[in-house]
Amino acid sequence: MQADLGFWVLQGLNALQLSMLLFLLSVGLTVIFGLMHFVNLAHGSLYALGAYAAATAGAAIGFWGGLLVAPFAVAALGVVLYLVFIRRMRRAGPMAQVLVTFGLIFVMLDLTRIVWGAQALSAPVPALLDGRLTILGVEYPAYRLFVIALGLAIWGVLALVLGRTQIGAMIRAGVDNDSMAACMGIDVEKMFFLVFCVGCALAGLAGAVAAPLLSVTPDMGLQILIPTLIVIVIGGLGSLKGAIAGSLIYGVVQTFGAVLFPQFASILIYGLLAAVLILRPAGLFPAKG
Amino acid sequence: MFRHTSLRFWALGLIAAAAVLRALTAEYFGVEMVAEIAILAILVIALDMVAGFGGMVSLCHGALMGAGAYAYAMLTVKVGLAPSAAFAGAIAITGAASWLIGAVCGRSHGIYFIMATLAFGQMGYSLVFEQPVFGGDDGVSGVPRIDLSLIGLDLNDPRTFAFACLFVLGLVYWFATHVLQAGLGRTLTGIMHNEQRMRALGVNVWRIKADMFGLSGMIAAAAGALAAQHVMFVSPGLLNWTVSGEALVVVILGGLGTIIGPVIGAIAFVMLKHEVSAHTDYWHLVVGLILIAVVMSRANGIFGWLEQRLSRARPSSARDVIAHQVRKDLAAQGALEDA
Repeated sequence: MQADLGFWVLQGLNALQLSMLLFLLSVGLTVIFGLMHFVNLAHGSLYALGAYAAATAGAAIGFWGGLLVAPFAVAALGVVLYLVFIRRMRRAGPMAQVLVTFGLIFVMLDLTRIVWGAQALSAPVPALLDGRLTILGVEYPAYRLFVIALGLAIWGVLALVLGRTQIGAMIRAGVDNDSMAACMGIDVEKMFFLVFCVGCALAGLAGAVAAPLLSVTPDMGLQILIPTLIVIVIGGLGSLKGAIAGSLIYGVVQTFGAVLFPQFASILIYGLLAAVLILRPAGLFPAKG
Repeated sequence: MFRHTSLRFWALGLIAAAAVLRALTAEYFGVEMVAEIAILAILVIALDMVAGFGGMVSLCHGALMGAGAYAYAMLTVKVGLAPSAAFAGAIAITGAASWLIGAVCGRSHGIYFIMATLAFGQMGYSLVFEQPVFGGDDGVSGVPRIDLSLIGLDLNDPRTFAFACLFVLGLVYWFATHVLQAGLGRTLTGIMHNEQRMRALGVNVWRIKADMFGLSGMIAAAAGALAAQHVMFVSPGLLNWTVSGEALVVVILGGLGTIIGPVIGAIAFVMLKHEVSAHTDYWHLVVGLILIAVVMSRANGIFGWLEQRLSRARPSSARDVIAHQVRKDLAAQGALEDA
């Protein structure tokens, strides 16, 4: 069974779909870190919130409405978090940041429990994407293909914005050397705020997209956090290329590992992470040389 | 470097007296709580040794404790070793593993160190979770307590067990403070302050870090082996990274780099947990808010705040300078990393 093409296509698509979901999450986190050296462990909680927002809004105004509302709702929360906590913790060093955002994880975990209850919510797949499509002789759910396409599209847009526009050049300059960028007249703080909001919105979008795939539970943010961190550490903090490369590596290793060596799937990925940390401590594609 | 100030002596004496009194007089539930606090205190002393005196903020100490618990459970239940031999074996195995982790992670700093330790901790978690030998999700049950009938003690009695935990805690406190005052601890603190300079002085930096991490892991394993005996059961949840995060919370709550502070943090944490859990299901909300408040207040936890208040009249004392330096160094390390 493992020899035929169908198996590889099917698992390849599964890997790609997982990769794209992780990419949506890790890209915001990695650019926030690259630009401002800020470690936001609560990124996973924002993703969970996006899933809840999409499931709730989706029940009232349909899936597409939910998909649109979730990023804005999460970005709005991001603004609040930024004003209350993050702006003050910017210069506090990694340990203090890890601790404050770890505290935020706990707070948001229980807040979602209070608002939505501990029961898992389910979000339906929209009618338009409910069917299956045949690719290379393999039937594959249309919704999962939509996730892959959306991830690729976001990647394309971000690559275009970061690589070809003035704001992208400013962000790259900020990642490279923020004090120098500030000397050149770039308002690094404002840029960080913008990037932070976009990162939050992407986390919300990832949550909204994931809602029909997984069940929506309060601890879904905790579950996705570790894979996201692995992705950005493997890829290298701060770079778009690192985020996409890390996501693809994680998706492939996790998916194929789970099928081919079910006993060692997770150990494989952590072993890979340890190897990267030992051989290339800054990740495969760090933002700075 | 660790110093025994008079305030620390007083705090230590007060805690010891309160703990013994409580273990002697309390009902069943109170005695169980003493054991729980003592075990947590052992774990956070281990974490403070590396985080407070070496700047090595580890997110794998929960996993190290879990490793100690599993090693003890496996050696007694599956291998059939005598519990006391298994206790020593668990400490040795976990110490060796954590020496290796320290040797590998010691090369990285700041956020990379945090991530690297997190990765190793999660590796242990999935190892235990996925390998059928370890019982998977069900864990290992029927873990025996050490048999001390030779000296006339029965550890299956909750009060005796609580005293045994307190005894180990005292031993660990003595051991940790001595290691920190010895050459190893002083060198480690030197590395935390200026790694470049220590290297220039001819210090083998990674070796010092690995040695201290190994010792810290041995202490964490002792906490784990006690925890396994306490509930007579181990499950993969012990190794989850949130346990490591909670241990870090306790250290911060009590006061980083003070050893006695984390012990106070453990007392406050366990008592608060029972108190809050009695009133509401949302214990995490409370602990999250407290953590955020403590970190953002910039005081060095309960004990750090106390020391600062009491030493305000005197010219800035060495420990304030250290606490201040830890923060500065951690920030500078982060900045250096990225430069």
